[in-house]
Amino acid sequence: MSEYLSTTFDKFELRVRKGYYYTEDGLWISMEEGRVRVGVSDYVQRTGGDMAFVELLKPGSTVERQREFGTLETAKTTVSLLSPMSGTVEEANGRLVEKPELVNSDPYGEGWLATLAPRKLENELKTLMSADGYFELMLKKLETEHKKLEVR
Amino acid sequence: MVDLPEKKVGIISCSGEACVEGTISRVATRLVLEKLRPEETVTICLPLFLAGGKEERAFAKYYPTITVDGCDKLCAKTATERYSGKPASSIVITDLTRNPGCSRSGRRKLDSGGLALAEKAAERIAKEVDQVLDHWR
Amino acid sequence: MKTTMQKKVIVIPCSGIGKALGSVSREATYEIVESLRKGVTDTTCLALITSGDEETLQLVKTNKCITVDGCPLQCAEKNVKLAGGELAASFRVVDTLKENRKLKPKSVTFLDHDGQELASLLAKQVAEKVDELLKE
Repeated sequence: MSEYLSTTFDKFELRVRKGYYYTEDGLWISMEEGRVRVGVSDYVQRTGGDMAFVELLKPGSTVERQREFGTLETAKTTVSLLSPMSGTVEEANGRLVEKPELVNSDPYGEGWLATLAPRKLENELKTLMSADGYFELMLKKLETEHKKLEVR
Repeated sequence: MVDLPEKKVGIISCSGEACVEGTISRVATRLVLEKLRPEETVTICLPLFLAGGKEERAFAKYYPTITVDGCDKLCAKTATERYSGKPASSIVITDLTRNPGCSRSGRRKLDSGGLALAEKAAERIAKEVDQVLDHWR
Repeated sequence: MKTTMQKKVIVIPCSGIGKALGSVSREATYEIVESLRKGVTDTTCLALITSGDEETLQLVKTNKCITVDGCPLQCAEKNVKLAGGELAASFRVVDTLKENRKLKPKSVTFLDHDGQELASLLAKQVAEKVDELLKE
Protein backbone atom coordinates (compact mmCIF):
# COMPACT_ATOMS: atom_id res chain seq x y z
CA MET A 1 0.00 0.00 0.00
CA SER A 2 1.28 3.47 -0.88
CA GLU A 3 2.60 5.80 1.80
CA TYR A 4 0.88 8.65 -0.01
CA LEU A 5 -2.48 9.93 -1.09
CA SER A 6 -2.03 11.35 -4.55
CA THR A 7 -3.77 13.15 -7.34
CA THR A 8 -2.73 14.39 -10.76
CA PHE A 9 -3.09 18.01 -11.69
CA ASP A 10 -1.85 19.33 -15.01
CA LYS A 11 0.93 16.81 -15.59
CA PHE A 12 2.08 16.68 -11.99
CA GLU A 13 1.45 14.14 -9.33
CA LEU A 14 0.72 15.86 -6.03
CA ARG A 15 1.19 13.72 -2.97
CA VAL A 16 0.17 13.91 0.68
CA ARG A 17 2.15 11.75 3.06
CA LYS A 18 -0.06 9.52 5.19
CA GLY A 19 0.52 9.49 8.92
CA TYR A 20 1.60 13.16 9.03
CA TYR A 21 -0.49 16.05 10.34
CA TYR A 22 -1.08 19.23 8.39
CA THR A 23 -1.93 22.89 8.76
CA GLU A 24 -4.22 24.58 6.24
CA ASP A 25 -1.17 26.37 4.84
CA GLY A 26 0.39 23.05 3.95
CA LEU A 27 3.01 22.60 6.66
CA TRP A 28 3.29 19.06 7.96
CA ILE A 29 4.57 17.53 11.17
CA SER A 30 5.66 13.99 11.78
CA MET A 31 5.89 12.62 15.30
CA GLU A 32 9.24 11.44 16.60
CA GLU A 33 10.42 10.46 20.04
CA GLY A 34 9.88 13.60 22.12
CA ARG A 35 9.86 15.96 19.15
CA VAL A 36 8.18 16.75 15.86
CA ARG A 37 9.71 17.20 12.44
CA VAL A 38 8.32 19.97 10.24
CA GLY A 39 8.21 20.39 6.49
CA VAL A 40 6.03 21.64 3.64
CA SER A 41 3.70 19.63 1.48
CA ASP A 42 4.13 18.73 -2.16
CA TYR A 43 1.41 21.26 -2.98
CA VAL A 44 3.34 24.09 -1.31
CA GLN A 45 6.59 23.32 -3.09
CA ARG A 46 4.90 22.88 -6.43
CA THR A 47 2.89 26.09 -6.29
CA GLY A 48 5.76 28.03 -4.74
CA GLY A 49 8.26 27.24 -7.46
CA ASP A 50 12.00 26.67 -7.46
CA MET A 51 13.44 27.28 -3.99
CA ALA A 52 16.22 29.84 -3.84
CA PHE A 53 16.49 30.43 -0.07
CA VAL A 54 15.19 28.74 3.01
CA GLU A 55 15.49 30.85 6.15
CA LEU A 56 14.56 29.45 9.52
CA LEU A 57 14.82 30.39 13.16
CA LYS A 58 18.02 29.18 14.77
CA PRO A 59 18.12 26.18 17.13
CA GLY A 60 17.20 27.25 20.62
CA SER A 61 14.62 29.80 19.42
CA THR A 62 11.14 29.58 20.80
CA VAL A 63 8.20 29.66 18.47
CA GLU A 64 4.46 30.00 18.87
CA ARG A 65 1.82 28.19 16.88
CA GLN A 66 0.78 30.11 13.76
CA ARG A 67 3.64 32.58 14.15
CA GLU A 68 6.34 32.90 11.52
CA PHE A 69 9.33 30.66 12.07
CA GLY A 70 10.89 31.05 8.67
CA THR A 71 10.45 31.85 5.01
CA LEU A 72 10.82 30.07 1.71
CA GLU A 73 12.02 32.32 -1.04
CA THR A 74 11.46 31.01 -4.52
CA ALA A 75 12.10 32.26 -8.00
CA LYS A 76 8.75 33.99 -8.02
CA THR A 77 7.61 34.67 -4.47
CA THR A 78 8.32 34.51 -0.74
CA VAL A 79 6.28 32.13 1.37
CA SER A 80 5.93 32.80 5.08
CA LEU A 81 6.16 29.67 7.19
CA LEU A 82 3.77 29.69 10.13
CA SER A 83 4.69 27.22 12.81
CA PRO A 84 2.26 24.31 13.25
CA MET A 85 3.15 24.09 16.94
CA SER A 86 4.52 26.03 19.87
CA GLY A 87 7.87 24.94 21.13
CA THR A 88 11.62 25.28 20.78
CA VAL A 89 13.54 24.81 17.57
CA GLU A 90 15.92 21.91 18.11
CA GLU A 91 17.44 21.59 14.68
CA ALA A 92 17.19 23.41 11.36
CA ASN A 93 18.00 21.43 8.21
CA GLY A 94 21.46 22.73 7.40
CA ARG A 95 21.52 21.06 3.99
CA LEU A 96 18.97 23.54 2.73
CA VAL A 97 21.53 26.34 2.84
CA GLU A 98 23.45 24.90 -0.09
CA LYS A 99 20.66 22.82 -1.59
CA PRO A 100 17.30 24.54 -1.11
CA GLU A 101 16.05 22.50 -4.08
CA LEU A 102 15.69 19.53 -1.72
CA VAL A 103 12.41 21.10 -0.62
CA ASN A 104 11.23 20.77 -4.21
CA SER A 105 12.63 17.33 -4.95
CA ASP A 106 11.82 15.60 -1.65
CA PRO A 107 9.44 17.70 0.48
CA TYR A 108 8.51 14.82 2.79
CA GLY A 109 12.00 13.43 3.15
CA GLU A 110 15.33 15.20 2.69
CA GLY A 111 13.59 18.55 2.28
CA TRP A 112 12.43 18.67 5.93
CA LEU A 113 12.76 22.10 7.48
CA ALA A 114 13.25 21.80 11.23
CA THR A 115 12.58 19.77 14.34
CA LEU A 116 10.74 21.21 17.31
CA ALA A 117 10.46 20.24 20.95
CA PRO A 118 6.72 20.90 21.32
CA ARG A 119 5.36 22.63 24.39
CA LYS A 120 1.62 21.97 23.97
CA LEU A 121 1.61 18.85 21.84
CA GLU A 122 -1.67 17.28 22.93
CA ASN A 123 -3.75 20.43 22.59
CA GLU A 124 -2.17 21.72 19.43
CA LEU A 125 -2.30 18.39 17.65
CA LYS A 126 -6.09 18.77 17.70
CA THR A 127 -5.78 21.92 15.58
CA LEU A 128 -4.07 20.02 12.75
CA MET A 129 -5.62 18.01 9.93
CA SER A 130 -5.06 14.39 9.13
CA ALA A 131 -3.59 13.46 5.75
CA ASP A 132 -7.10 12.72 4.46
CA GLY A 133 -8.37 16.09 5.59
CA TYR A 134 -5.49 17.97 4.02
CA PHE A 135 -5.83 15.97 0.83
CA GLU A 136 -9.46 17.07 0.48
CA LEU A 137 -8.47 20.65 1.14
CA MET A 138 -5.74 20.42 -1.48
CA LEU A 139 -8.21 19.11 -4.07
CA LYS A 140 -10.52 22.05 -3.39
CA LYS A 141 -7.65 24.50 -3.73
CA LEU A 142 -6.60 22.96 -7.03
CA GLU A 143 -10.10 23.26 -8.36
CA THR A 144 -10.64 26.85 -7.37
CA GLU A 145 -7.26 28.50 -7.40
CA HIS A 146 -5.12 27.09 -10.15
CA LYS A 147 -5.50 26.90 -13.86
CA LYS A 148 -1.92 25.90 -14.48
CA LEU A 149 0.99 24.88 -12.38
CA GLU A 150 4.35 26.03 -13.41
CA VAL A 151 6.71 23.37 -14.55
CA ARG A 152 9.28 22.34 -12.02
CA MET B 1 -6.86 3.75 -24.22
CA VAL B 2 -6.19 4.00 -20.49
CA ASP B 3 -9.06 5.67 -18.65
CA LEU B 4 -7.58 8.98 -17.65
CA PRO B 5 -8.96 11.42 -15.08
CA GLU B 6 -8.88 14.43 -17.34
CA LYS B 7 -8.89 15.04 -21.05
CA LYS B 8 -5.82 17.09 -21.79
CA VAL B 9 -3.42 17.45 -24.66
CA GLY B 10 0.32 17.78 -24.20
CA ILE B 11 2.12 20.25 -26.43
CA ILE B 12 5.78 19.64 -27.05
CA SER B 13 7.52 22.53 -28.69
CA CYS B 14 11.01 22.96 -29.91
CA SER B 15 12.44 26.29 -28.94
CA GLY B 16 15.42 26.22 -31.22
CA GLU B 17 17.68 29.06 -30.46
CA ALA B 18 19.38 28.92 -33.81
CA CYS B 19 16.54 30.33 -35.85
CA VAL B 20 13.55 32.60 -35.60
CA GLU B 21 11.16 29.73 -36.34
CA GLY B 22 12.22 28.17 -33.03
CA THR B 23 11.20 31.35 -31.24
CA ILE B 24 7.91 31.42 -33.14
CA SER B 25 7.30 27.81 -32.12
CA ARG B 26 7.91 28.66 -28.49
CA VAL B 27 5.76 31.78 -28.45
CA ALA B 28 2.92 30.08 -30.32
CA THR B 29 2.89 27.22 -27.84
CA ARG B 30 2.87 29.60 -24.89
CA LEU B 31 -0.05 31.54 -26.39
CA VAL B 32 -2.07 28.33 -26.63
CA LEU B 33 -1.19 27.41 -23.07
CA GLU B 34 -1.90 30.78 -21.54
CA LYS B 35 -4.71 32.19 -23.63
CA LEU B 36 -6.30 30.01 -26.26
CA ARG B 37 -6.68 26.62 -24.54
CA PRO B 38 -5.38 26.97 -20.96
CA GLU B 39 -7.58 24.28 -19.44
CA GLU B 40 -7.18 21.73 -22.21
CA THR B 41 -3.42 21.79 -22.61
CA VAL B 42 -0.22 21.03 -20.78
CA THR B 43 3.26 21.92 -21.88
CA ILE B 44 5.96 19.32 -22.00
CA CYS B 45 9.34 20.89 -21.50
CA LEU B 46 11.48 19.45 -24.30
CA PRO B 47 14.88 19.73 -22.54
CA LEU B 48 13.44 18.05 -19.45
CA PHE B 49 11.75 15.46 -21.65
CA LEU B 50 15.07 14.72 -23.36
CA ALA B 51 16.92 14.58 -20.05
CA GLY B 52 14.52 11.91 -18.79
CA GLY B 53 11.99 13.97 -16.81
CA LYS B 54 9.57 11.32 -15.57
CA GLU B 55 6.50 13.50 -15.43
CA GLU B 56 7.07 14.75 -18.95
CA ARG B 57 7.59 11.28 -20.37
CA ALA B 58 4.73 9.72 -18.44
CA PHE B 59 2.31 12.38 -19.58
CA ALA B 60 3.37 12.05 -23.20
CA LYS B 61 3.00 8.29 -22.98
CA TYR B 62 -0.61 8.29 -21.78
CA TYR B 63 -2.05 11.50 -23.16
CA PRO B 64 -2.29 12.66 -26.76
CA THR B 65 0.44 15.04 -27.82
CA ILE B 66 0.92 17.70 -30.45
CA THR B 67 4.46 18.53 -31.46
CA VAL B 68 5.44 21.95 -32.73
CA ASP B 69 8.76 22.19 -34.54
CA GLY B 70 10.49 25.25 -35.89
CA CYS B 71 12.13 23.52 -38.83
CA ASP B 72 12.23 20.25 -40.72
CA LYS B 73 14.80 18.75 -38.36
CA LEU B 74 11.70 17.88 -36.30
CA CYS B 75 13.42 17.60 -32.92
CA ALA B 76 10.19 17.69 -30.88
CA LYS B 77 8.44 15.12 -33.07
CA THR B 78 11.44 12.77 -33.15
CA ALA B 79 11.95 12.93 -29.40
CA THR B 80 8.28 12.28 -28.73
CA GLU B 81 8.22 9.27 -31.02
CA ARG B 82 11.40 7.93 -29.48
CA TYR B 83 10.51 8.31 -25.83
CA SER B 84 6.76 8.22 -25.62
CA GLY B 85 4.92 7.43 -28.80
CA LYS B 86 3.60 8.87 -32.01
CA PRO B 87 2.11 12.34 -31.54
CA ALA B 88 -1.54 12.86 -32.42
CA SER B 89 -0.53 15.78 -34.59
CA SER B 90 2.63 17.56 -35.71
CA ILE B 91 3.06 21.13 -36.83
CA VAL B 92 6.13 22.60 -38.51
CA ILE B 93 6.43 26.36 -38.44
CA THR B 94 8.34 26.56 -41.72
CA ASP B 95 5.24 25.09 -43.40
CA LEU B 96 3.30 28.15 -42.28
CA THR B 97 5.92 30.63 -43.40
CA ARG B 98 5.95 29.72 -47.04
CA ASN B 99 3.41 32.37 -47.86
CA PRO B 100 5.01 35.38 -49.54
CA GLY B 101 5.05 38.57 -47.55
CA CYS B 102 5.87 37.04 -44.19
CA SER B 103 8.86 38.80 -42.71
CA ARG B 104 10.32 37.15 -39.69
CA SER B 105 13.60 38.61 -38.67
CA GLY B 106 14.58 38.59 -35.01
CA ARG B 107 15.05 35.25 -33.30
CA ARG B 108 15.67 37.00 -29.99
CA LYS B 109 12.69 39.28 -30.09
CA LEU B 110 10.01 38.69 -32.68
CA ASP B 111 9.14 41.62 -34.87
CA SER B 112 5.54 42.34 -35.86
CA GLY B 113 5.72 39.83 -38.70
CA GLY B 114 7.08 37.17 -36.38
CA LEU B 115 4.43 37.88 -33.77
CA ALA B 116 1.72 37.66 -36.37
CA LEU B 117 3.06 34.30 -37.45
CA ALA B 118 3.21 33.12 -33.86
CA GLU B 119 -0.44 34.07 -33.41
CA LYS B 120 -1.38 32.30 -36.62
CA ALA B 121 0.54 29.21 -35.52
CA ALA B 122 -1.17 29.38 -32.12
CA GLU B 123 -4.60 29.39 -33.78
CA ARG B 124 -3.58 26.38 -35.82
CA ILE B 125 -2.34 24.53 -32.73
CA ALA B 126 -5.56 25.37 -30.90
CA LYS B 127 -7.61 23.87 -33.75
CA GLU B 128 -5.51 20.72 -33.60
CA VAL B 129 -6.13 20.55 -29.86
CA ASP B 130 -9.88 20.73 -30.49
CA GLN B 131 -9.72 18.00 -33.10
CA VAL B 132 -7.67 15.74 -30.89
CA LEU B 133 -10.10 16.21 -28.00
CA ASP B 134 -13.15 15.68 -30.25
CA HIS B 135 -11.66 12.46 -31.53
CA TRP B 136 -10.93 11.36 -27.98
CA ARG B 137 -14.52 11.94 -26.85
CA MET C 1 45.49 26.94 -48.83
CA LYS C 2 44.19 25.52 -45.62
CA THR C 3 42.23 27.89 -43.44
CA THR C 4 41.73 27.32 -39.75
CA MET C 5 38.19 27.75 -38.42
CA GLN C 6 38.20 30.23 -35.59
CA LYS C 7 37.31 28.50 -32.37
CA LYS C 8 34.26 29.82 -30.64
CA VAL C 9 32.68 29.20 -27.30
CA ILE C 10 29.27 27.61 -27.72
CA VAL C 11 26.67 28.83 -25.25
CA ILE C 12 23.74 26.45 -24.85
CA PRO C 13 20.64 27.46 -22.89
CA CYS C 14 18.07 25.06 -21.56
CA SER C 15 15.26 27.27 -22.86
CA GLY C 16 12.80 25.48 -20.63
CA ILE C 17 9.39 26.49 -21.84
CA GLY C 18 7.46 26.01 -18.60
CA LYS C 19 9.22 28.54 -16.40
CA ALA C 20 10.43 32.11 -16.47
CA LEU C 21 13.90 30.85 -15.59
CA GLY C 22 14.03 28.98 -18.90
CA SER C 23 13.18 32.17 -20.77
CA VAL C 24 15.89 33.99 -18.83
CA SER C 25 18.47 31.35 -19.85
CA ARG C 26 17.53 31.88 -23.48
CA GLU C 27 17.62 35.66 -23.28
CA ALA C 28 20.98 35.64 -21.50
CA THR C 29 22.39 33.45 -24.26
CA TYR C 30 21.22 35.81 -26.98
CA GLU C 31 22.67 38.74 -25.07
CA ILE C 32 26.06 37.03 -25.17
CA VAL C 33 26.12 35.72 -28.73
CA GLU C 34 24.44 38.71 -30.37
CA SER C 35 25.89 41.48 -28.27
CA LEU C 36 28.44 41.04 -25.50
CA ARG C 37 30.68 38.46 -27.19
CA LYS C 38 29.47 38.58 -30.76
CA GLY C 39 31.80 36.85 -33.16
CA VAL C 40 33.55 34.67 -30.59
CA THR C 41 30.49 32.81 -29.35
CA ASP C 42 27.66 30.92 -30.92
CA THR C 43 24.63 29.00 -29.78
CA THR C 44 22.87 25.87 -30.90
CA CYS C 45 19.70 23.97 -30.17
CA LEU C 46 19.85 21.60 -27.23
CA ALA C 47 17.39 19.31 -28.96
CA LEU C 48 19.72 18.94 -31.95
CA ILE C 49 22.51 17.86 -29.62
CA THR C 50 20.32 15.22 -28.03
CA SER C 51 18.87 13.98 -31.29
CA GLY C 52 22.41 13.31 -32.52
CA ASP C 53 22.50 15.81 -35.35
CA GLU C 54 25.97 15.26 -36.88
CA GLU C 55 26.79 18.86 -37.53
CA THR C 56 25.71 19.96 -34.06
CA LEU C 57 27.62 17.18 -32.34
CA GLN C 58 30.72 18.15 -34.28
CA LEU C 59 30.25 21.74 -33.10
CA VAL C 60 30.00 20.89 -29.41
CA LYS C 61 32.78 18.33 -29.46
CA THR C 62 35.31 20.58 -31.13
CA ASN C 63 34.54 23.81 -29.30
CA LYS C 64 34.33 24.63 -25.61
CA CYS C 65 30.75 24.77 -24.37
CA ILE C 66 29.03 26.68 -21.63
CA THR C 67 25.57 25.60 -20.56
CA VAL C 68 23.05 28.02 -19.10
CA ASP C 69 20.31 26.22 -17.20
CA GLY C 70 17.22 27.82 -15.72
CA CYS C 71 16.83 25.64 -12.68
CA PRO C 72 18.58 22.98 -10.59
CA LEU C 73 17.33 20.21 -12.89
CA GLN C 74 20.14 21.29 -15.25
CA CYS C 75 18.83 19.73 -18.43
CA ALA C 76 21.31 21.53 -20.70
CA GLU C 77 24.32 20.42 -18.67
CA LYS C 78 23.07 16.83 -18.49
CA ASN C 79 22.31 16.58 -22.18
CA VAL C 80 25.58 18.16 -23.32
CA LYS C 81 27.57 15.83 -21.07
CA LEU C 82 25.63 12.81 -22.31
CA ALA C 83 26.33 13.76 -25.89
CA GLY C 84 30.05 14.01 -25.19
CA GLY C 85 30.27 17.77 -25.67
CA GLU C 86 33.31 19.62 -24.37
CA LEU C 87 31.62 21.16 -21.34
CA ALA C 88 33.86 23.89 -19.95
CA ALA C 89 31.45 25.62 -17.58
CA SER C 90 27.85 25.53 -16.34
CA PHE C 91 25.67 28.33 -15.11
CA ARG C 92 22.26 28.27 -13.49
CA VAL C 93 19.84 31.18 -13.59
CA VAL C 94 18.69 30.25 -10.10
CA ASP C 95 22.20 31.05 -8.76
CA THR C 96 22.11 34.55 -10.24
CA LEU C 97 18.65 34.90 -8.75
CA LYS C 98 20.09 34.10 -5.32
CA GLU C 99 22.57 36.93 -5.72
CA ASN C 100 19.82 39.34 -6.72
CA ARG C 101 16.97 38.62 -4.42
CA LYS C 102 14.84 41.56 -5.39
CA LEU C 103 14.35 40.23 -8.88
CA LYS C 104 11.33 37.98 -9.27
CA PRO C 105 10.72 37.17 -12.93
CA LYS C 106 7.14 36.08 -13.37
CA SER C 107 6.35 36.17 -17.04
CA VAL C 108 7.41 33.25 -19.23
CA THR C 109 6.34 34.06 -22.79
CA PHE C 110 7.72 37.58 -22.92
CA LEU C 111 10.16 38.41 -20.17
CA ASP C 112 9.16 41.14 -17.76
CA HIS C 113 11.56 43.78 -16.43
CA ASP C 114 12.92 41.54 -13.66
CA GLY C 115 13.49 38.76 -16.15
CA GLN C 116 15.35 41.04 -18.54
CA GLU C 117 17.47 42.40 -15.71
CA LEU C 118 18.32 38.91 -14.49
CA ALA C 119 19.25 37.83 -18.02
CA SER C 120 21.52 40.83 -18.39
CA LEU C 121 23.33 40.15 -15.09
CA LEU C 122 23.79 36.50 -15.94
CA ALA C 123 25.00 37.32 -19.43
CA LYS C 124 27.79 39.45 -17.95
CA GLN C 125 28.89 36.58 -15.72
CA VAL C 126 28.94 34.16 -18.63
CA ALA C 127 30.79 36.68 -20.81
CA GLU C 128 33.60 36.82 -18.24
CA LYS C 129 33.85 33.08 -18.39
CA VAL C 130 33.96 33.19 -22.18
CA ASP C 131 36.95 35.55 -21.94
CA GLU C 132 38.75 33.14 -19.62
CA LEU C 133 38.12 30.22 -21.92
CA LEU C 134 39.29 32.07 -24.99
CA LYS C 135 42.60 32.91 -23.30
CA GLU C 136 43.33 29.25 -22.60
